[in-house]
Amino acid sequence: MTIWAILSGIEGNLAAYEAVLTDIKRQRQPIEELYILGDVIAARPESKNVIERIRSPRANEPEPQVCQGWWEEQLLILHGLGRAGEPTELIERFGMETVKILWDAIPRHMVEWVRSLDFGFFELDCLLIHGSSVSVSDELTPNTPPMQMLDRLMRMDANLLFCGRSGLTFQYEIQQGSVTSSIITLDQATSPQATFVRPRQIVGVGNVGRVPGQATYTLYNPNTNQLEFRTVRYASGKGFQRARQ
Amino acid sequence: MKIAVMSCIHGNYEALNAVLSDIDDQNADKVYCLGDLVGYGPHPNAVVEMIRALDIPTCQGCWDEDIVEGLNACECSYPSVLAEKRGKLAHDWTNQVIHPEVREYLAQLPFSLRDDNLCFVHGSPHNQHEYLLPEVNAFVAMERVLATGADVLFCGHTHVPYVRSLDAGQLQIRVKVTGKSEANMSFSAPLKRIVNAGSVGEPRHGRPNATYVIYDTNDDQIILREVEYDYQKTCAAIIEKGLPPIFAWRLARGMEFAERADDPTHVCER
Repeated sequence: MTIWAILSGIEGNLAAYEAVLTDIKRQRQPIEELYILGDVIAARPESKNVIERIRSPRANEPEPQVCQGWWEEQLLILHGLGRAGEPTELIERFGMETVKILWDAIPRHMVEWVRSLDFGFFELDCLLIHGSSVSVSDELTPNTPPMQMLDRLMRMDANLLFCGRSGLTFQYEIQQGSVTSSIITLDQATSPQATFVRPRQIVGVGNVGRVPGQATYTLYNPNTNQLEFRTVRYASGKGFQRARQ
Repeated sequence: MKIAVMSCIHGNYEALNAVLSDIDDQNADKVYCLGDLVGYGPHPNAVVEMIRALDIPTCQGCWDEDIVEGLNACECSYPSVLAEKRGKLAHDWTNQVIHPEVREYLAQLPFSLRDDNLCFVHGSPHNQHEYLLPEVNAFVAMERVLATGADVLFCGHTHVPYVRSLDAGQLQIRVKVTGKSEANMSFSAPLKRIVNAGSVGEPRHGRPNATYVIYDTNDDQIILREVEYDYQKTCAAIIEKGLPPIFAWRLARGMEFAERADDPTHVCER
């Protein structure tokens, strides 16, 4: 039986990632797919070690499938490879000092690997993505307006959207809904028609590296639709520096 | 108060004049424009000068943006190589003839405008290139209005006018957050409307007449207006200026012809 492990936001915290990998290996049912929904890196020197670790899984580990996150996009912008010309968002949120730290943290040869990452994955009826179908910056939380949540699912016609931008673990189920619509054009008027929505879900998969000593991630069984949010505690005192936020 | 809303003039000075006269006849108190003042048509400078002279509040359209940014219109919205080639020709021509002060004016146009419970945009509240066609899913359409916080969303870009009423919107939701108890919520939205003003200068509803809308805030009535004008004059100017003749051909028929995008909901991520 296929089980997916879905994680996001390692943010250059190798100890946290190792703790999650250990927890994955401990699962009674083998984890066959490992999705990393972006923010593998952050503005910290250890980020390159995380990239190396992801690119070199051990014999008994699943091959990670990685997509771009917010930090990866900022790195590409810094190198003139992003969609925006200037790292405005990065500077506004973290200041110029962080720009230099991020630049120095990732060697040039690893930038190409970051560039090669997908925007997201569509597997079965599931969209797996860092932010949402709109952008890596789009942060979906349980407080996001319901119609906006539905819109993010409908943009890619997904039944289930796994996302990581908020860092929260949550399950948001749209159970049912309807809207009545009528249209008048120059030549005709249609009578009101109801449109219904089928049940869909958005799942926040948690965050691995942001909180020292505590990593959260998600297990998903696509055959049974069963979800499990995992919290892994690990020692964070051995030279581990708190992530810049 | 009567509000007139027009969009997509596309350098068609004859059509703009006719619509402005009709707006006068309708005794409108205020006029809004939803952008795309330039592109396709032969008189981009004259159109912008008229809009500026009348001090009409205007949003920036996708063509206005493209002229300012020095980019060709979103390539991924072209359905064919031929259509793309013609679009680029029109862009290059407009880019060459546009006056510097007109370009500056287009650059400072806002993305959206608000007036009480009304919101005005070119394509959608999210993107100048997004087409809010009448067949867009009702939930998606409602999200676009809700995203603005307004009750009525005026848009253009499709060149086909319509009024869409979205009523009795409701969603049932269950939320589980780690460490908190499960919550059941219901969401309901009041009546929202999308009003597409069609196109003054490049209509695509099957006739060559210019279209715009009148909204009466007193009785909440919306009227789609269709205005006849001397389109032959614009067609002749298109040929005379060296623009692709197919622009004149489709203007005379009010047809999009082969230019319709395969996926009109697609949004350029440029």
